[in-house]
Amino acid sequence: MKPIIVLAWVLGLTAVQAVADDAATDLAYKTRFVGEAHGLRADTVFAPGVPLTSFGRDRARFEQEARGRVGPVSLLLTGTFSGQQGQHAAGKPLANEAYVDFGSGENRFSAGKKILSGDVGYGFRPIDVLQREVRLQALPPTLEGIPSLIWERFTADAAWSMVWANPGYGRRGESRDDGSLALRGYRRWQGADLHGVARLSSRYGSELGAAISTVPHESLELHASFLAQRRGERFAPLAAPATIAQLLAPDQALRTVTIDAPRKLLAGFTWTTERGWSVLGEAWWDGTAPTAGDWSTLARQAAQRSALLAFPGVPAAAVNGSIAASTALFAAPVRTRRGQLARVAWTDPAASGWSGSFDLLRTPEDGGWVATLAAGWEADRLRLDAGVRYFGGKSESSYRLMPEQRVLFVGASLAF
Amino acid sequence: MFKPLLFAALALLALPAGAADVKTLLKEADAFRLADDSARVETEVRVMKAGKLDKTRLYAVYVKPGRRSLVVFRSPSERGQKMLMLGDDFWLVLPTSQRPLRITPMQKLLGDASTGDIASLTWAEDYDGKVDGEQTIDGVPCLRLDITGQRKGVSYPRIVLYLAKNDRRPVHAELYVASDKLAKEADFRFGDVDGRRQVVAMVLTDRLQRERLTEVHYLARAAKTLGDEYYNPAFLIRADIEN
Repeated sequence: MKPIIVLAWVLGLTAVQAVADDAATDLAYKTRFVGEAHGLRADTVFAPGVPLTSFGRDRARFEQEARGRVGPVSLLLTGTFSGQQGQHAAGKPLANEAYVDFGSGENRFSAGKKILSGDVGYGFRPIDVLQREVRLQALPPTLEGIPSLIWERFTADAAWSMVWANPGYGRRGESRDDGSLALRGYRRWQGADLHGVARLSSRYGSELGAAISTVPHESLELHASFLAQRRGERFAPLAAPATIAQLLAPDQALRTVTIDAPRKLLAGFTWTTERGWSVLGEAWWDGTAPTAGDWSTLARQAAQRSALLAFPGVPAAAVNGSIAASTALFAAPVRTRRGQLARVAWTDPAASGWSGSFDLLRTPEDGGWVATLAAGWEADRLRLDAGVRYFGGKSESSYRLMPEQRVLFVGASLAF
Repeated sequence: MFKPLLFAALALLALPAGAADVKTLLKEADAFRLADDSARVETEVRVMKAGKLDKTRLYAVYVKPGRRSLVVFRSPSERGQKMLMLGDDFWLVLPTSQRPLRITPMQKLLGDASTGDIASLTWAEDYDGKVDGEQTIDGVPCLRLDITGQRKGVSYPRIVLYLAKNDRRPVHAELYVASDKLAKEADFRFGDVDGRRQVVAMVLTDRLQRERLTEVHYLARAAKTLGDEYYNPAFLIRADIEN
């Protein structure tokens, strides 16, 4: 986006701020900077294609956020100026949320673009069927809402909502952009939170899920979640054996595989102490994630493509492009069907502002892991974050195959 | 022969007036903190470090009988956060993920002034105990109450509370965490609110960290009864209550 548009957006936010004294306007602002230094793996099998991807490129983004209300409209606006090594920086204004909540008593309604996250888990959320939030990102960007019309009905301890998401649309590029109709339910029962969801969409057909969260002890929280889909999809490498022509066609590097009746399941706990420590453990199954075989096939095909460079007449651009296109599989939100997450976090109970965490995500199916160590410090309006993430595991595991070995990240945000 | 009876009678008279009914004493003390059963309380928290202002936080607190409290975080850095307390159960909504997150009672203790300090405006519903003598605090003759939480979700399982003998206003409190360690001490400041003598500030001195002091100022109180649906965790993501 051209700088002039970004400037116009920033001026727009400033204008919104200028009328903040108006009784009907109530906005808070945040400025955020995030920088990432990405370290490439020296022995990656995807090396020929890496220069065509964003792997290994340091990147930064600068975000301006306005959150609150203008009259009856709830707003979450962001202006982001971001760039990465070797490319021009670009700006992007976005209305992450813009909606109106209305109604009274038990019946309530919402119209507009609204964040619709759901579910009870931390690392994986099977019944988050509308927002489809990507989890476990380091310093993630602000979520973008889903255009929707919602009818909700509340009592003291129960609620249900009918959500028409992306009205007027059918299947689109991303599943979160698909038109769909969902019924979400909630009930407090015997001290536990029960959640249910049913969703209809052209991509997955019917989806039916349930979740529970409960606190049986003052320090312990337990949660579980389950989703059954009529059909699912996953990206997979080119089917083997592949011809040379297929191997050299970037648009055939990955294919979409339809899965009949996949399941997603999560179980986990959080243990908290009065000294500010918390331990989280989760295990999950995602029947729509790539298999261990997919990753070994991906690596084998990358090696086959690289080998083709030795043959005369084989265009290097086709080899490199195909390898680069195949690395899109690393963007899968869940890397393998089985996942195990352990997280130890600490927040200074004396409220000094310091906090820290260590996450270890294992993928037992292929023997991979990713470890993240992070620290944060928060003052009155300023928050600073820093951390490092390492990818490793067995040679053909997803995280070990990834062209990157580590990411260092820093963040700073100022609220006003 | 009359001496023992006389001593017994004098001993009974010497007992604090409300010794037999701690609940009544707590209700009288509560009236100085919250005059209405259902209310909206605008609260400002000032965190002081070594005598200097370190942080300021703003909250809108809604309370309703049945141990129901809703805390809306109003500071720019915390905007979008809400916390709901229903008896012993707690939920948090963070701006980064618009969904009610079930949390443990331990988690609500974390923070500058724990959310429990802000949202718990009464003692009578949650505590019971005994009158454990008398003591003068800052020149004010007080009843010393040793009270313990009657449910698992209270912020402080034990409180030693000092109430003025003359009008039962809270003067001082020692707040103990689950390990029976003294975590904070609270002192209460009073002012005239709508013609009534009310607590206008609570000063919390941290006993676990030196030179740390938190002032909880009650900026405004208004009788306000929100519908039951507002205290439903699923309602937290709606904007019907200020964001």
